[in-house]
Amino acid sequence: MWKYLLEKEFKQFFRDPGLPRMALAFPVLMMLVFPFAVSMDIRNINLAVVDNCMSRESSLLVDKCISSGYFRLVSHGYSAEDAMRLMDDNKVDAIITIMPDFDRQTALGRGLPVGIKVNTVNGTKGSLGSQYILQCVRMYFSDRNSSAGMASAQSADISEKYYFNPGMDYKLFMIPALIVIAITMVTAFLPALNIVSEKEAGTIEQINVTPVSKTAFIVCKMIPYWAIAFFILTACLIIAWAVFGYVCRGNVLWLYLFTVLDILVMAGLGLLISNYSSNAQQAMFVIWFFAVIFMLMSGIFTPIASMPDWARFITYFNPMRYFADAMRAVFLKGSTPADVWYDVAGLGVLGTVMVTAAILSYRKSE
Amino acid sequence: MNTGYAIHIRNLVKKFGDFTAVDNISFDVRKGEIFGFLGANGAGKTTAMRILCGLSRPTSGSGTVAGFDIRKEQEKIKRHIGYMSQKFSLYPDLTVRENIRLFGGIYGLKDREIHEKTEAMLDMLEIRDAGNRFAAELPLGWKQRLSFSIALIHSPQIVFLDEPTGGVDPETRRRFWELIYDTAEHGTTIFVTTHYMDEAEYCDRVSIMVDGRIAAMDSPAGLKESLAARDMDEVFRIVAGRAVREE
Amino acid sequence: MTMREFWASVRKEFLHIFRDRRTILIVMIMPVIQIILFGFAVSTEVNEARVAVCGDMSDPQVARIVDRIDSNRYLEVTGELSAPEEIEGLFRRNGADAAICFGRNFGSRFHDGRAQVRIVGDGSDPNTARMITSYIAGVLQDVQQDADISISGEKVPSMTPVVKFMYNPAMKSSYNFVPGVMGLILMLICSMMTAVSIVREKETGTLELLLVSPVKPLWVILSKLMPYLVLSVFNFTTILLLSHYVMEVPVNGSIALLSLVAVVFVVTSLAIGLLVSEISSSQRTAMLICGMGLTMPTMIFSGIIFPCESMPAVLQWFSDIIPAKWFIIMVKKVMIQGDGFRSIIVEFGILAGMAAVLLAVSIRNFRTRLQ
Repeated sequence: MWKYLLEKEFKQFFRDPGLPRMALAFPVLMMLVFPFAVSMDIRNINLAVVDNCMSRESSLLVDKCISSGYFRLVSHGYSAEDAMRLMDDNKVDAIITIMPDFDRQTALGRGLPVGIKVNTVNGTKGSLGSQYILQCVRMYFSDRNSSAGMASAQSADISEKYYFNPGMDYKLFMIPALIVIAITMVTAFLPALNIVSEKEAGTIEQINVTPVSKTAFIVCKMIPYWAIAFFILTACLIIAWAVFGYVCRGNVLWLYLFTVLDILVMAGLGLLISNYSSNAQQAMFVIWFFAVIFMLMSGIFTPIASMPDWARFITYFNPMRYFADAMRAVFLKGSTPADVWYDVAGLGVLGTVMVTAAILSYRKSE
Repeated sequence: MNTGYAIHIRNLVKKFGDFTAVDNISFDVRKGEIFGFLGANGAGKTTAMRILCGLSRPTSGSGTVAGFDIRKEQEKIKRHIGYMSQKFSLYPDLTVRENIRLFGGIYGLKDREIHEKTEAMLDMLEIRDAGNRFAAELPLGWKQRLSFSIALIHSPQIVFLDEPTGGVDPETRRRFWELIYDTAEHGTTIFVTTHYMDEAEYCDRVSIMVDGRIAAMDSPAGLKESLAARDMDEVFRIVAGRAVREE
Repeated sequence: MTMREFWASVRKEFLHIFRDRRTILIVMIMPVIQIILFGFAVSTEVNEARVAVCGDMSDPQVARIVDRIDSNRYLEVTGELSAPEEIEGLFRRNGADAAICFGRNFGSRFHDGRAQVRIVGDGSDPNTARMITSYIAGVLQDVQQDADISISGEKVPSMTPVVKFMYNPAMKSSYNFVPGVMGLILMLICSMMTAVSIVREKETGTLELLLVSPVKPLWVILSKLMPYLVLSVFNFTTILLLSHYVMEVPVNGSIALLSLVAVVFVVTSLAIGLLVSEISSSQRTAMLICGMGLTMPTMIFSGIIFPCESMPAVLQWFSDIIPAKWFIIMVKKVMIQGDGFRSIIVEFGILAGMAAVLLAVSIRNFRTRLQ
């Protein structure tokens, strides 16, 4: 019985004029374009300097900022009002105000008469921008101090080091995440439309009147998504390597293992929604609703640790949280399922629940 | 429980909220009989039929289909019946052969049996050339005959036909009924709903449903005699004229 | 078509759409849950970063520093390592976000300025790693400064300037996400519902029926769009009320202006829906185009998560054709910064232009289909 049902699902998938093309083109396009766009390495921060000192020292500080490469100097003048107006018009993201006695005060080591204002409507951009400015100021000082031969009597030599991604390449960080998004999107949307389409076409009734087993019917609907996901994963890995030059640090097999587990959850959820929807549009809205929540609360874009407790609790029910974490760990750090056993467990439990729910919610009679 | 009847129904009720779609009906269908199940739209015949096929659970009442309990043994019933819905519900994006193969496979036929059945079926339906065409592309009359043959693929004891000949010309309908007669001759019980009264004449016995109840049940000749009607059309008008429920 | 006929067909569309109660309910509740979730939960601030310590814990200087790291509001000491080699394995298991390694005889060398300390970050997440290491470096600097004070006895003024956060002093991420999610939701609901309803009519043939009637196609289309316009206005209002009263996002600018911006954006999205319906052969295709094809680019290129300024030039141009980008910029300016019409005139012009062009193209396509 299984063989025939499987044959049917595969034939139907590949016969649809739009579906296979879209399912395969979408991830490939995404993988080719998005890595260039997903950058948190914020450059070109528009900077206005209000320099009331206009001394050699103050221009050194400004140079330091400009040479860091993060900033684009938009205006350099005296008027605080002008600068503020520029910020109101969104032409400037940060303002550095240098007080008149900047050179004297700093020379005496009495303080740092510099004011910094940052537009923080976008929190990430704001906090990273202020970090960059502070870093420049710090560098300015250490340069000055070392040239002046001033050193703190007591100190420790602080060095920083980063593992796994010494170039601090944000693209590298996002590559496995984009693979996760591509797989999850395709394998959530398609199953959600599957059963409900059969309902709308009336074909499910002909199936319901046969002695077909519920498990066979649902599982056979799920298996093609594994094939699709494997294809997407393989295509994405090839693009990551051929176009961007990134290779998986860990064993590639583990990536496939986690994909199998993720499909269990996502296809299960999609079929579950499909079972409960009375038309395709409903199914689509509901799966979209979940897909966006999963994505934004997965730790892919923003760290889970930054969420309040209740939200962090919710993420334990988010399959993408585990999937993204595992894929990143394997791809970037070479972790094994034993290292990230909690991701295996999370996906496994959610997957079992979802598939069971999908099978149970499929009713052959009213 | 073996009653000797193909279908044996007692006090069947189906309610949807406050609405009673099927209101306490009882009837028996003998093995090998062609049983016509008549009624106006909304009289409850499709609902009753869906219960018999195991697609719907009754609110109350009892009965057996092919010897199995309609409340508890729905999946066993499905093994022994065929069903053809009024809406064409084979997979439009699979070919004729693929549809036959799928349903053959679901009913547990072996590859070799499926192959034989497919060839025999294509010959019988005289659509050998259309075997590799998508089911969606077939003319309606062919679709109906294909659906019927697929409903019979596992040689069921009973086959349920829900308005099998809707929307086709009289000649096509006549040929379809030839298929039904052939099938009945081989001992298969036929349970058919229709609203063509000339078709009702072909049945061994008919029941007429009005407002969820069975208002009349007998052979076509018997009905005509007791109601002093010229033909089934008139019988239907007399019986269905008592309806209060609107469509 | 007279006004009365127009309203009659609008009423027909309304009845048709609101009969599917479940869909309407989903469409109305969905934005509420998403706004609340994202407004409160999604934040880019790094909290409770787990720091592992490697070094001689019996050294009082080390112990003091570790204590201070632990008491920092962003950091939390989670474990001790006996050797730096263990760090890599720990990161691989996601056991810590950063590590700090103290050199040998740290305490005694600290007084001669020869002490060594290394901060190790998990570079697989570069931004978070950078933030965490800078927090740790900040703690170390503070310790150093305190040591200077205790030696010289005089108070040394801080050499770190004060940063003033403009418009969003509490650094709430909802200020950024509320306009973003608003754009995303309005876009999806408008385009998908329009596209699906028109493709459905195409499939059932009722659209042909309407188009061969003496009614002008423009009016047919407008009467179809009206219910979605109303639904979107409803969604916009709930999101606005929620974000103001629950999320405490300020509404500093004029609500009338904000609503005008929203209506223009909704019209743009409806026009996109129309276009999608024209290129889709089936409902399924229309839904996938809207659900995946519109959602992902909107999410990535509208500046909700990734700032457009740091993208390569080509992609910045691409982001310019995403209507949601302009909508989000305007909402931020009007709602949070309290700007007036003068400062959004460019963005408004662009979005209005997009709406006009998209509407014109989709309506013209309808006409050609008719002939």
